[in-house]
Amino acid sequence: MNKKYPITQEMIDRYGVINGDNDIIHYDHDYAVSRGFKGPIAHGLMVSGYAIDMACRKWGKDFFYKGEIDVRFRGPVIPGDTVDIVIDDGSLVASVEDGEALVGKIGLRG
Amino acid sequence: MTRPSDIKPREGDLPGSKFDDFEIGAKLPETRFTITPDIVAEYARAVESDPRGFEIDGKRAALPSVLFVYLMSVFYRRYPPAQGGIMAGNRMAFFSPIWADEDTEIVGTGQVEEKFTKKGRNYIRYSAVFHRADNGQKIAEAVNTSTFPN
Repeated sequence: MNKKYPITQEMIDRYGVINGDNDIIHYDHDYAVSRGFKGPIAHGLMVSGYAIDMACRKWGKDFFYKGEIDVRFRGPVIPGDTVDIVIDDGSLVASVEDGEALVGKIGLRG
Repeated sequence: MTRPSDIKPREGDLPGSKFDDFEIGAKLPETRFTITPDIVAEYARAVESDPRGFEIDGKRAALPSVLFVYLMSVFYRRYPPAQGGIMAGNRMAFFSPIWADEDTEIVGTGQVEEKFTKKGRNYIRYSAVFHRADNGQKIAEAVNTSTFPN
């Protein structure tokens, strides 16, 4: 299964409100650029949350009792990107135009 | 209701922890918080999910990753964050639902597992476990790897 998420700064800000952080790498363009990114970067766990939503739809009740996600964050997601999340046979890849943002596994234990 | 910001030290509020501060094996202080239906719905909206949650056996369950927004609290309460931290990896396993239509008090515990430097970046790996406060049932466990600039 796959799903695409167009990312805006408003989405990052909205996640930041519930996340309760003040890490300016998500909100301050100039700071993010000084760290080598094209712009403020989305929270890795925000993108992971999209994948969890997809997994709950794919595996239903079982995912709530036996679900697991294990990811490495490979590259940034910035406003203007569209994240394409693909879950296939237990593998998970989230990519943007510049390359992979997140790779790993998602599925049921045992 | 416990908003993550109620229990999570925010970047810039306190001097950020330095790499030398992190102690392998250090126990992280017990972190208690209550996830309410409002939090469940707000989190779901923040990840483009259904704020009503998912139906399981006639009950509504929260998106299990609602715990993501509390995850770093367990670590930051012992080691206040520096600006510019970036997550490198995260594993989380789920064992029982958080119900979307009731308050759930949760206890989080954890410890520092590892610290290492790779390609000039300093990494910290820590583990956390979350249980229901009322009956001790395990909800989830996690291993997080993050890098901090200092």
